[in-house]
This record gives sequence, C-alpha cells and structure tokens, in this order.
Amino acid sequence: MAARAESTPAVPDWQRGKVASWLVTTDHKRIGLVYIVSSGVFFAAAGVMALLMRTQLATANADVVTRESYNELLTVHGSAMVFLFAMPLIAGLGNYLVPLMIGARDMAFPRLNALSLWLYLFSGVVMMLSFLAEGGTAQAGWTAYPPLSSQQAGNGMDLWILSLHLIGVSSLLGAINFIVTIHNLRAPGMTWTRMPLFVWSMDVFAWLLLAVLPTLSAGLTLLLLDRQAGTHFFDPTGGGSPLLWQHAFWFFGHPEVYVLILPAMGIISEVLPVFARKPIFGYKAVAFSSVGIAFFSMLVWAHHMFTVGLPNVLNVYFMIASMIIAVPTGMKIFNWLATLWRGNLHFDAPMLYALGFLSIFTMGGLTGIFLAAFPVDWQLHDSYFVVAHFHYTIFGGVVFGLLAGLHYWWPKLFGRLLDERLGKASFWLMFAGFHVTFLPQHFLGLLGMPRRIYTYGEGGLWEGYNMASTIGSYVMGLGVLVILVNMAKTSRTGRRAGNDPWRANTLEWYTTSPPPEHNFDSVPYVTSPRPLYDLRRRLKESDAV
Amino acid sequence: MRRTPLLSACVLAALALATAGAALAGNGGIAPVEPRSPNADGIRDSYWLILAVVLAIFALVEGLLVTFVIRFRRGRRQRFEDGAQLHGKSSLEVLWTAVPVLILFAIVAFVFVKLPGIRNVPSADAAAGRLDVAVTAHRYYWQFEYPNGAVSVDTLRAPVGQPVKLTLTAPDDDVIHSWWIPALGGKIDAIPGQTTSTWFTADRPGVYKGRCAELCGLLHAEMLAWVEAVPKPEFDAWLEREAAAQQAGTSKLGEQTYAGACAKCHGLAGQGDIGPRLDGSAIASDPAGIEKVVREGRNAMPTVGAAWSDSQMDALTGYVKERFGSGG
Repeated sequence: MAARAESTPAVPDWQRGKVASWLVTTDHKRIGLVYIVSSGVFFAAAGVMALLMRTQLATANADVVTRESYNELLTVHGSAMVFLFAMPLIAGLGNYLVPLMIGARDMAFPRLNALSLWLYLFSGVVMMLSFLAEGGTAQAGWTAYPPLSSQQAGNGMDLWILSLHLIGVSSLLGAINFIVTIHNLRAPGMTWTRMPLFVWSMDVFAWLLLAVLPTLSAGLTLLLLDRQAGTHFFDPTGGGSPLLWQHAFWFFGHPEVYVLILPAMGIISEVLPVFARKPIFGYKAVAFSSVGIAFFSMLVWAHHMFTVGLPNVLNVYFMIASMIIAVPTGMKIFNWLATLWRGNLHFDAPMLYALGFLSIFTMGGLTGIFLAAFPVDWQLHDSYFVVAHFHYTIFGGVVFGLLAGLHYWWPKLFGRLLDERLGKASFWLMFAGFHVTFLPQHFLGLLGMPRRIYTYGEGGLWEGYNMASTIGSYVMGLGVLVILVNMAKTSRTGRRAGNDPWRANTLEWYTTSPPPEHNFDSVPYVTSPRPLYDLRRRLKESDAV
Repeated sequence: MRRTPLLSACVLAALALATAGAALAGNGGIAPVEPRSPNADGIRDSYWLILAVVLAIFALVEGLLVTFVIRFRRGRRQRFEDGAQLHGKSSLEVLWTAVPVLILFAIVAFVFVKLPGIRNVPSADAAAGRLDVAVTAHRYYWQFEYPNGAVSVDTLRAPVGQPVKLTLTAPDDDVIHSWWIPALGGKIDAIPGQTTSTWFTADRPGVYKGRCAELCGLLHAEMLAWVEAVPKPEFDAWLEREAAAQQAGTSKLGEQTYAGACAKCHGLAGQGDIGPRLDGSAIASDPAGIEKVVREGRNAMPTVGAAWSDSQMDALTGYVKERFGSGG
C-alpha cells in the first residue's frame, strides 16, 4: 500500500482549489468541457454579430451599423464561427468522448492536450480584442484576400493573423494527439472495423487537419510578411500574385469544411442507430466514405476560384473533381436512410436534430452541384446563393449535427437528462428559423445580390426576402435561448441519467455519468462496433438460462 | 410523438408554398434573372437542367426520409425493442454509388455541350464585328475605354446585337473586384496585375444593372455598374460624338467621373461623407491640388485617378471647380 501511495504524483494544495484545479487540469474530460463551454461563448458572440448584420440588411438603405463595422462583423462572424466555435466544439466533444469511446483512460498526451486548449483560448481572446485595435479589427472577410487584407491600415489584421496562427498550432497539436490516441489506446478487441464511427470521423478529421492546416499557416505567415516586412508575395506592385493566396487559402479552406462536417457526420452515425434500435447500415461504407471524402476534398480547392479566369482545362478538372466528392457524400446519406428502414424510431431531441441534419444537409449538398458546374458558378459565385449554400452545409449540417451530439451526450457529460419538451421546442424553432433565414437567400443570390454588401437600394422582392431572412434569424436566436434555458434548468433539477439512459451501443455508456477521473474500472472485450449491445444480449441470454 | 411527421409535412408544405410563391412572382429568384445575352442564356439552360435533376433527388431523399419517419415510428412498441438487425446490403450500396456517378456525368456532359456558347468570345471577323472595351476596376468605380479612346465611368454603353468583348484589370495598387451584370452573363474578376476577359451580346435595348461581386473595401456595396444597350446606329453615332466632345473638353465626362470616382465618398453635392466636404472648400478651386490628390492619394483616399488621361483630369477638375469652387 505504501509503495502505491508513493507512485501517485503529489498534487500541490494550491492546485486543488475550485478554480485552480480547472486551470492546471490535464484530464481530457475537463479539457473537453472547457472547450465546449468556451466554444459556446464564442458561438453566442459570433451569433450576435450575425443578428446585427441581419438587422442591418432587413430593410433597404438601413443605417443600423456603419460600413466599417459591417465589414468587421462579417469577417469576425465567419472567422469565429469556423475557428473559435465549430472546430473547438468538435475538439471538445472529441476530447471528452474519444478516450471514453475507445475505452482509454485519457488522451495519449494529456499535457499537450492542455497546451492545445490554452492556445485556443488565447487565440479567441486575441481575435475578440482585435476589435479594439486602431482602425478596428480585420475587414477583409474570413477569406482575407489580398491586396485588400495586405493593404488594411492599423494592426487589427495583424492580430487576426496572430489569432489564426495560435489556433493553427493548437489544432495541429490536437490533431496529433487524436491520431496517437486513436491509433494506440483502443480497448482490447477494438479493431479498426469495430471502432465507433464517431471515432473514425475524428481520426479522419485529425489526419485531414494535419494535411491542410500548415498551408493556411504558411499563407498567413506570407501575408504577415507582406504587411510588416516589406515582402511582395501577394502584392502585384512588387511582382507578387494575389491569386497565390487564394490557392493557399482554399487548399486549406475547402478541406476545412470537411474537417467540420466529418465529425458531425460521425455523430449522426452514432445517434441514428441508437434511436432506430438498429445497427448502422453499411458500417464499412460509412467509415471508408469518410476517407474518400477527405482525400477528394484536397483535390477540389479551385472551385472557389472559377471566376479568376483559370485556364479552361483547370476549370473542367475542378468541376469534375468537385462532382465526384458528391458520390461518397451521397453514399452516407443513403446509408443513413437505410438505417432508419424497419427501425423502431423514437424522436427524442438528439434524433430530431439528427433527422434535421439529414434533411438540411441533403439540400446543402444538392445546391453544391450548381456551384460545381463552373459556368453556372459564374452566375452564382460570391452571391447570396453561395451564402445560403454554405449555411445549409455548415449550419444545417455541422451545427445541427453538433446539437444532436450535445443533446445525446449531455447526460454523459453532466449526469442529468435534458428536458425533452424544451429540447423538442428548441429543435422546431431552430429548424423553422433556419429555413426561413437561409432559403430566401438562394433567391436573393439569383436576383443578383452579392454577398458581403452592407446595404442595397432595391425594394420589392429584395427587401421581402431580406426581411424574411432577418425574421428567421431571430427565430433561430430564440431557439438557441431555449437550448440555454434547457441546460440551465436541468443542471439542478434534471432527471438523473444513470450510466446509459439511451441503451446505447458504445463504451462511453459503460461507465458512470459523469465518468470518474480514471474513466473505467474495467473495459469489456470488444467483439463488434456495438460492445454494449453485445453485452446486453449476453446478459439477456444468461438470464434466460 | 405523433405530431412529428405532421409538423414535418407542414414545414415541407410551407416551403413548397414559399417556392411556388417565388415562382409565381415571375422568376422571383427561382432561376438566374431573365437572360439578355446568349452566354447568360446558356448558363440559365444549364441551371434549369441541374435544378430538374436536383429537385428529383431532393424529392426522393426527403420523401424516403418522411416516409420512414412515419412508417417506422415507435408507435405502440416497447421503447427499447430492437428494430430489424440489418447490417447492410452490397447490391444496394453499389446501386447508390453507381447511379449518382451516372447522373453527375450526365450533368457534366450537358455543361460541355453548352460551354462553347457561354465561354467563347465571338470572333471579331464575324458579320456583326465586335466592340472591344478595356475595363479597369477601381475602388470604387468602373472605367471603360472604347477603341476610339472615349471613356465612360460606371455606365457602359453598348450596341444591341453586336458582341462586346471586355478585357478587365485593376491597377497594381488597387484590390480585386468582380464584374457581374446578371442579365448579361456570369462574373469575371478584375485582378491587379492580371487581365481577364468576358463578353456579352445584348439582345435588346435596355439598362442592365450589376454590382461588384468581390469584397473590395468600405464602399463595396456602392460599387454598381450599368450596361446601357442602344441600337447599333445610335451607338456608333454616340461613340464618335462622345470621343470628339471629350477631346474638345465639352463632354459630360467631368460630371460622370465625379459621380463615379468622387461622389461615393464626398457626396453627390460635395457635402462630404467618408471623405471631407468639397463644396466651398479651398481645394475645389485648385485644379493642380486636386490633380495631385487624385493621382497620388492622401491618407485613406486611394489613388483614384492615377491613370486618367489629361482630358479626363481636366474634365474632372473643371467640373469640381465650377460646381464647388468658392468663386475662385
């Protein structure tokens, strides 16, 4: 006993405090929670920015925010939603759940994990504080095309670059951590084809980040040098090319949307089987199509550049490559539909969000076909049609997927169930608000409204669709409030979850809710992608005997 | 629980109504705006084909989804009762991999057929000839230069029925803009240090409005463009008259240049907005001072007129002095 006590590292007293213990933690669950809560804060901030923009655009010639503020809002809304909300929320859920789902005690590198978290928090602080820089924060959009971005006066743009550099390092370290964890720490018996599909998606997520994020960081470094060190990488007055940045940015930027959507798809592949009481239809197709999507996502970037006057042969190549990527995506959608077939479906909030994902993401995928056909893209590019398209994929896809995951795993994270009535109410508000916001934006784009304009003079349909869109965005805002009320209300009074309130399939439900610091006392030998289903069946059989 | 499919049906019905409403409003955004040029026409044909395919897939997927949600809901079954334990079926998976590939290649084939009519600039040797216009995109105005040296700002005059080829660029110290007149075809970026090109042939007289489609800074939303298509004889006469008037300094170019290049910041009445007030200011009566500022820029003001010809510069300084000069 004495020897055992000695081998436990001593925790200094000051690290035991309520606040201090969170500051010094290397526990993947606590790190995951800090990620999740902070991403929620940035979601709220970036969401308010979106509402401000929608308020400005509700009527023609409105004067709610200045031109300058509008460009700041659109830049930080986009950057924060991608880098400070969606990626960290995925990192948070992944951090909390990947070790639990593979039966491990922690991530492979707990202290590196803490470093990722803190770099992310600093990155977020830098981006938000950049509003206070002289001349305001970055105003060139989240895509930061030079020469607009390289010419912006003041240091707001430099702080924006610093923020993205920090999150870049954070994400790379996190990606390495996920890969090493998933490849090395799986429970006995958990072969690659018995791994939960969410873990599959997190593995592909991490490899894809590792492949493309350095390109963004390199581009950002060149942009910073152009701004501060007198280089001319993107500056035509010194022989540079503004298009070089677009290649670097989109080589990262297009895969980035798959970096975001793949984990959401992984969540859907966990939720649908549990609430349909069936195994996933075509496990291998669902798992391997993620790999296919990730691979092809690195070969399609210039479909964001169809209007820069690329040679025809490149336009043709990027059109065909972009269309091919629809195939593995379509496979997933049909596999999910088949998972519902002959199931015993119950419509708790996680299932509603998952079904919402399925219906909305399908629409986002389909509008992508218009944009892949480059002559049609010449008409639609940089219009509100594109804004609608990517919100159907990123909001309707990623956010609905993540909300399905949050509602599904909330009882595991906090030990209490969310309120079902509030959960359903939030879903219907979000679902209806979403379509009212973004469906009319397709029409606006086709009518000729470019994205990123702070005002317009047209009345009539332009104003009508814009007003509808604004009303929808407020309905979604209400939906988010209902979710928050639900979380707050059930934190004290919610029904106790027990280990496994959903009778789910994967190992995280084998331990208590929330799990103890060491996660598991023991882990069952894994014989299929559904270890807990197998366990329940074995128990039933032994009961029968 | 019963209400879920019902609500889905209601939402879908509402969406269908909204869509139908948009369609009834005379293409209220259900397709690209009424094309007025063959390239825009080809784009819209491709759009309709894709829309038809996409609507069919949409109906199939969402139809299956709603059907399954209704048909396989729990109903009176036990909450945790197993559904059918089906792990997959290879033939089905091959089917829904192969069929989309075929559909996508059909779309690509159709685009290939339409592509030459959309992309290829008609030859200058054709019977109708061709008008070549050099377009320079500035923060925050468009400058058009016709073959005979005449220039115009923000409004491009064009002959009906004759192909117009646009060669676009932006000054090296400017930013990226994008040319987009929806009725006359797709976008093409105007990029500093590079040239790009596009074309249109207006099929009837009219004024077609467009906007800069690439975020270019503070006044991106105010960077509008118009193409004014007029019958060819009228256009030819105008072009000759305009070039002569600009040489002689009797054209309206000064006013046009002011409205396009200056007024968006200094106000149409010179009252000031982003830029300082010009009406009654000392510099308004100082042509050399104005020229220095518009050629070299000052503080936040870009070098809007760095490349203006002397006649355009004189037209502008003359207009500003006459309109806003304080009796100097």
